[in-house]
Amino acid sequence: MVAQSELIKEARENGMDLLPLDKDTYELFFGPQHMATENFSIILKMDGHRVVKAIANPGFLHRGFEKLAELRPWHTNIALLLRICVPEPDVPENIYSMAVDEIIGWEVPDRAQWIRTTVLEMARVSAYLFWIMGLSFKLGVYTAGQWAAAYRERLMALFEELSGARVYHIYTIPGGVRRDIPSDKWLRQLKDTVEYIKSKLPDFDHLVFENYITFKRMEGIGVMDKKFALAEGVTGPNLRAAGVAYDVRRADPYLLYPELDFEVPVLGDGDALARALVRRYELEQDLYILEQLLEMGPPSGPYKVEDPRLKNLPRFKVPAGDAFAHVESTKGDFGAYVVSDGKNKPYRVQIRGPSIAHGVRVLEQLLVGARIADVPVILMSLDNCPPDIDR
Amino acid sequence: MEEIEFKIAPESKIRKKPSYIKPWLGLKYLFKRPVTIKIPYEKTQIAKKYRGFHTLDWKKCVGCNFCGQICPARAIEMTWLEVDGKMEKRPHPKIDYGRCTFCQFCVDVCPTGALGFIESFMLTTEWKEERIQLFDWVPIHPEKFKKLQENYNDWRFPVEKIEFNDETKEVVYHFRDGEIFKFKILGYGIRPPKPKSGAKRVEKKA
Repeated sequence: MVAQSELIKEARENGMDLLPLDKDTYELFFGPQHMATENFSIILKMDGHRVVKAIANPGFLHRGFEKLAELRPWHTNIALLLRICVPEPDVPENIYSMAVDEIIGWEVPDRAQWIRTTVLEMARVSAYLFWIMGLSFKLGVYTAGQWAAAYRERLMALFEELSGARVYHIYTIPGGVRRDIPSDKWLRQLKDTVEYIKSKLPDFDHLVFENYITFKRMEGIGVMDKKFALAEGVTGPNLRAAGVAYDVRRADPYLLYPELDFEVPVLGDGDALARALVRRYELEQDLYILEQLLEMGPPSGPYKVEDPRLKNLPRFKVPAGDAFAHVESTKGDFGAYVVSDGKNKPYRVQIRGPSIAHGVRVLEQLLVGARIADVPVILMSLDNCPPDIDR
Repeated sequence: MEEIEFKIAPESKIRKKPSYIKPWLGLKYLFKRPVTIKIPYEKTQIAKKYRGFHTLDWKKCVGCNFCGQICPARAIEMTWLEVDGKMEKRPHPKIDYGRCTFCQFCVDVCPTGALGFIESFMLTTEWKEERIQLFDWVPIHPEKFKKLQENYNDWRFPVEKIEFNDETKEVVYHFRDGEIFKFKILGYGIRPPKPKSGAKRVEKKA
């Protein structure tokens, strides 16, 4: 047996930062360079390979979005706010645009509403594929992760054709969308893509969601009960996995969702596996929603509000007032509260991100008692978005 | 609060059963073609209206500074230029590609349609010697850019080298087809630059 002090000495000599707390416990910095944490850090107090205490250490991506939004013209903020959540940038775009629409009192044209709903669902599918990639990398099933990345590429190509950019679309603006649907070919391509991804879902099931390794590794870890989840304000798939049926698309419908048919998956276990399965089923439902939207077809008409004030965007003024709009993202309930004092810049933009609810305090609680190998899995099962926590 | 009816999915649909055999079904992909492409031997396809580099029709530009005002990254600054000894009547936007986010709001607001964009997007160069500093780029005519793109078809920047003289503020664009374009930066901002005598006075006071 090597004495503890010798181990620490050796660690120090090799430039490792293992701080001894007492005889048996040590402090471990998990992230932000670690692949699993994605620009997010957790300080773990370890006893052997079990976590005694976890302290979330965000702040590596702080850019001060809310303050910066007060300094820029109304439309320009779209190019800024979408950076809050990189895997699904359309969500911040949409909530901000919906809130501004409500303040002005614009009625968004039917075609724009259809496009917005489609874009939101496409963003959900691509975010879930991105999440499958993350999860399977953390479980060690690298093959499935690479498939997910490849299928997401098809959606990115569609986004590229629609908006002109792959990741940061900057597409939804107050009053509608920036560009019309390129052609009928695009709709056909979207239909093909939806069918293609749907046909590939069984492969993901075989490799990830029906794999006995997944069950061994995810069952019973990071259990979050109903009361705790509600008290902490957790929303989205994490709340549904804890046994609460809540979905913004049904509770406070927006855009075309009242006309669409979909099921809300609810599981009562609250562990990492339940969260993963809920997300897996939601991906299926999102593809089903996209199919319905494509069957509906885009209504004819203008794709954005026709207003003479829109010709002078830098001087575009929004009447005084305030509004709140929220949508269901893959992370949870994403909302924006926008206040205007009648000038060409917003007075205040407050973002209600889902990740701050389940990514900091809840994560700290769930990690207690977990093995070190389970830390990335729990983190990925919660699906937090570090830029949203820091904001 | 009124009760909301959620259409809850049956649990049997969501739950999965662990399997020891099914994961091996992934092996069938060993006999399929990879989806990846070999860059730079193969080329990616770019969408028709990909938001790439800016183009500017100097004759159409009225120097209204709408682009500078809407820019979220504040990458655009108006510059007063002199070509062949003649000063341009209006200032033209200068783009700092170190800051540009390629949101193309500047193109949306342009009242005369002078500012446009092209699909070319490659900000990187292959070798160290080729590096170009793109902090003071006054966009070129769309037709010139399109011609170069059609000739080379690699979505690169249209110039090989940019010479920037810090003292005389003379800029020389060396285009990829060998053409050379020279101009001089007289000043920055919306207002026209002061004549040289004014500058001398300031120096004396100091």
